[in-house]
Amino acid sequence: MIDEPFDPTRVRVPPEEGLDATAGHVTVSQVTDMVKRAVERGLPSTLHVVGEISNLKRHGSGHLYLTLKDKFSELSCVMWRSSAARMKFTPADGLEVIATGAVEVFARAGRYQLYIRKLEPRGIGALDLAFRQLREKLEAEGLFEQRHKRPLPRYPRQLAVVTSPTGAAIADILRTIERRYPCVSVLVYPVLVQGPGAPEEIARAIERVNSGAAALGEIDLMIVGRGGGSLEDLWSFNEERVARAIFSSRIPIISAVGHEVDVTIADLVADVRAATPTAAAEIAVPALEDVLNAVSERANRLARAMHNGLRLGGAALDGITARGAFRQPLTAAHRRAQVLDLVSQQLGQSLPRRVADHGGRLDRLGRVLGRIAPEAFVLRTMLTVREIEHRLRWVVVQRHAEANAAVAFCAARFARLSPATALRPFSERLERLSFAISVSTRRRIAELKRRVDKERELLDALNYKRVLGRGFSITRTKKGRRLVRSAAEVKDGDRVVTEVAEGSFESEVVNVRQLELFE
Amino acid sequence: MGKRKPSFEEALKQLETIAEQIEQGKIGLEESITQYETGMALVKHCREILSRAEQRIQKLHEREDGTLDTSDFKPSQDT
Repeated sequence: MIDEPFDPTRVRVPPEEGLDATAGHVTVSQVTDMVKRAVERGLPSTLHVVGEISNLKRHGSGHLYLTLKDKFSELSCVMWRSSAARMKFTPADGLEVIATGAVEVFARAGRYQLYIRKLEPRGIGALDLAFRQLREKLEAEGLFEQRHKRPLPRYPRQLAVVTSPTGAAIADILRTIERRYPCVSVLVYPVLVQGPGAPEEIARAIERVNSGAAALGEIDLMIVGRGGGSLEDLWSFNEERVARAIFSSRIPIISAVGHEVDVTIADLVADVRAATPTAAAEIAVPALEDVLNAVSERANRLARAMHNGLRLGGAALDGITARGAFRQPLTAAHRRAQVLDLVSQQLGQSLPRRVADHGGRLDRLGRVLGRIAPEAFVLRTMLTVREIEHRLRWVVVQRHAEANAAVAFCAARFARLSPATALRPFSERLERLSFAISVSTRRRIAELKRRVDKERELLDALNYKRVLGRGFSITRTKKGRRLVRSAAEVKDGDRVVTEVAEGSFESEVVNVRQLELFE
Repeated sequence: MGKRKPSFEEALKQLETIAEQIEQGKIGLEESITQYETGMALVKHCREILSRAEQRIQKLHEREDGTLDTSDFKPSQDT
């Protein structure tokens, strides 16, 4: 506005009541006012002041107070909250900055200050610095770490795109998806992607898609981005709010902001960064052709595997059926029978032999035992006795035979002798002897005969039959054939058998009476 | 395959498993045939998913209660 150089003489001094201007006295306020007017007139309303920040103080009200200094001087500065809030980067002591604003006099303190409307880092752009600062901050918090990256679904069914509904980006994304994988549903969440309110809209959209995904039939994937533009245009994607919304998303996010060279904070936080929206779509969905090929490949593989399996199974079956067991099912049985025969034959041979072996051993054992056993001892003794007896008998028989032979020999000798000569002495003697024998014998015989007759008579007398002949009888009980000697031995009703001389008869006892009653 | 149709990814994975099982002869022939039939059903299912060719594009907007609603989306090229 005022371009002419400052001229103190032109500062108007207001007339002060009660003060004599001509006397040359002025009040503090007058001086301050003079300075204020002089400053306002003499200084350009906009200054770009280069300096280093020091004594930075952020007041609770949001206002910033700081001092700009260089080698020789210091300048007090104020930045009101409204201006400070628009700042992209965070000022700090020691930072070389360019402060844009106006110098005004602060009358109360009697000092002049630079009222900063805009503060920019020196050397690099403010946005660059802001980007660096936010990146450092979020990096320190770990938001970019690989472990937070969610895997992308390989075959998404439904995906959401958070971007401008009118930009080139959405057109590129939809075209690419349609070309590659038309079997996916796309939900477009239209947002402002630049200008005031854009970061908020983007962040809110990301949050909404997450919270509303279930109601929308699940969303597998999100693409957040916009087409190319200046750093300022892309700036929304460098906002902390957007970065945090992306980080908090449950649904995996592909960022697609600007062109290849543009890397935003959103790109760093996102699960996958795509260089462009088209690239994002290519990452998001597979090519249908590839997928179909993969399905066919699997189907073929399955069919091949099955075919091989069947062929192998068939071959195995053939192999088995070709074997003797199936062609001649009885062969195996015959072979077994043969084996059985062989075995039984061996058994037939070996068994008796073994039985015999055992028998022999048993015999030997028995013999050993026999020698020890007492029964055997007795038996053996008996055998010995018998043997001796037998031998004795044999000796007796033999002796007897010898004796007979000797008698016979003698008899023969006697027979050969002349009887007259040989036997005369004998017959004479015999005659004598026989006479003697006959006399005594006759006597004896007669005597014996008498005795015998006498005995017989006695016996006859004793014979009860003869008693019966005299009219007696014998009575016996029928049972037991007991002799009845006393009437007491029978009772009424007993049956008795009575024997008489000629025969017997049976009768029943009646009227048994004792002897004394009889008398 | 059960009451719920598997997702494309699940179906592919299952196919892979079945093919491996049959290839490696881990399962018997009868089981192989059953699995093969399942596998072929999965292939059909996969192809069905992929043949749903019409690309459904809808616009999301927020209702007053904060929930989302959808409507048809017509992309325009004015940047």
